[in-house]
Amino acid sequence: MPDATALHAHPATRPAGVTPPPRPGPLSTYATLVRWNVAQVGSVLPLVVVVQALLAAGLVVGFGFLIPDITPDVALHLSTGAPTVLLLTVGLVIVPQGVARARADGTFTYLRSLPVARPLLLAAELTVWLLVALPSVAVAVGVARLRYALDLAFDWPLLVAAAVLVTVTATAVGYAIAVALRPMVAQLASQVLVFFVLLFSPITFPADRLPAWFAAVHDVLPVRPAADLLRAGLAADVYPASGRDLVVLVAWCVLGLLVSVRALVRRA
Amino acid sequence: MDRAVLQVDGVTRRFGEVVANDDVSLRVRAGQVVGLLGHNGAGKTTLVSQVVGLLRPDAGSIHVGDVDAVAQPAAARRGVALQAQGQAPLDGLTPRTAIELSGRVRGLSAREARRAALDLAEVLGITPWLDRRALPDGAGLSGGVRRLTAFAMAVVAPTPLVVLDEPTNDVDAARRRALWGAVRDLADRGAGVLLVTHNVVEAERVVDELVVLDRGRVVGAGTPAELRGTEDAGLRLELHLLPGDDGPGPAPMPVARRLRTGRRVLLGIASHDAAAAVSWAAHLRDQGAVEGYALGPATLEDTYLALTASTAGAPTTDRIADPTDAPSTDPKDEELTRA
Repeated sequence: MPDATALHAHPATRPAGVTPPPRPGPLSTYATLVRWNVAQVGSVLPLVVVVQALLAAGLVVGFGFLIPDITPDVALHLSTGAPTVLLLTVGLVIVPQGVARARADGTFTYLRSLPVARPLLLAAELTVWLLVALPSVAVAVGVARLRYALDLAFDWPLLVAAAVLVTVTATAVGYAIAVALRPMVAQLASQVLVFFVLLFSPITFPADRLPAWFAAVHDVLPVRPAADLLRAGLAADVYPASGRDLVVLVAWCVLGLLVSVRALVRRA
Repeated sequence: MDRAVLQVDGVTRRFGEVVANDDVSLRVRAGQVVGLLGHNGAGKTTLVSQVVGLLRPDAGSIHVGDVDAVAQPAAARRGVALQAQGQAPLDGLTPRTAIELSGRVRGLSAREARRAALDLAEVLGITPWLDRRALPDGAGLSGGVRRLTAFAMAVVAPTPLVVLDEPTNDVDAARRRALWGAVRDLADRGAGVLLVTHNVVEAERVVDELVVLDRGRVVGAGTPAELRGTEDAGLRLELHLLPGDDGPGPAPMPVARRLRTGRRVLLGIASHDAAAAVSWAAHLRDQGAVEGYALGPATLEDTYLALTASTAGAPTTDRIADPTDAPSTDPKDEELTRA
């Protein structure tokens, strides 16, 4: 360690100031922020994957116990809904809890004080959650095939696009909930959302089992459109994709992004 | 060269009824360390938050270099490096990764960031922890190493204005010395440093100028020598009281300033009264009225306590300050409270 007193000798003339290094481009900054996020999430990543696998097993196998003499189409509906439940759980539950924690421990403020365009902070975060969430589609499909020996007809472009859109939407909405509400309220809201998604959303059961008014509500919420779009990617021969579902989902995605970016940019 | 890297003029910021910053003005020039002193709640962090665009002032202007930080907070932020009062988000990272990533965000090349991380770790004495991962709930790395890493993250790349908010919290005495040295070095290499602290005694050694905030207002500003003044109180007699004692009666010599902080009473006296003061203090100790005493040159701490006490509504400057806010000058106390 250097001797502090030696460093205290003031220069006779004041230096002419500091020139900062050239500002890195947005892509370079984005890449650095993604590395930062990956390094931080890395330690809990195995846990997230294990939780997702357990949840997938719980949904596909456990929900099966609720239905006696499960028929192939019911099994197909249940199994093709499971990935959506997992993606929504990551976006609407794990993300808000992470953001609420970041707000409480000062991480959120710290990141906002960095000399980077704040939307890049959100972009990096979304990217990392995408990396965390997407394997859950494979996990859920794998468990379903093991349990029910399903023969799925993948529409790969639709499946990939739907999985990305559903994850980004869920993450953006989850992020928006976490930054728009007080941390305690956000944590509570995310807990309530789990039950809503698991039990009161036509993801693992058809929407026509709901009262008409509640099914109509689900037409404008992102949950059912997300499930149906993903389902169409997994079993293209049985479930058609709907343009309306796509519009609803994109609208929620944009809303989530706008609220999140505004919270990041806004000065109190 | 008198180029201001930070110019704050008449900044006022309220939170409801509370005025956190009341018409605050200050300037930091290139190559200068300006200390921003104040008790907890004096409005220091509120001011810093406005400089980096986390809060918007209700009135006044802030310029970082030539950039209007109120109108263009994003542009201003590129000229500022902040070590925030809270811990930096290190969980899951090693100090090496965290410092390098900060350097990359601030425009260093990968090679420059690697070099800077090694150099800073060496200067701050954290090389042995460079590759140890910080884990959640404070595990993996101690608070002191985390704080020094956060400092390194803030200063890794050359930045015109460096704002350090309580950089020495949790840091042990030896590394605190190294850190103060690094702060001085930053300014000597041309950065302007705004150093937010309540550690008056240590700040005095590195700052060129000081601004004292109390209840949101600037109550004193100038060089340490200017603030200490050349008034009659050239010496400080420090009496260590017994537990529960209110302190001795009037002193037999003129007292320019009398302050009470915790179990200490600080009296400002003229140099030519030194003999009388020592004789009185020795008498008090022999009688068992005080535990001990010390006579030395008046310090900035005396001035600071007087400045911050006078606006607190106390009838005299005899105010009991929060001992955590007013660090002891006693090296033993320092070790006990900081080590």
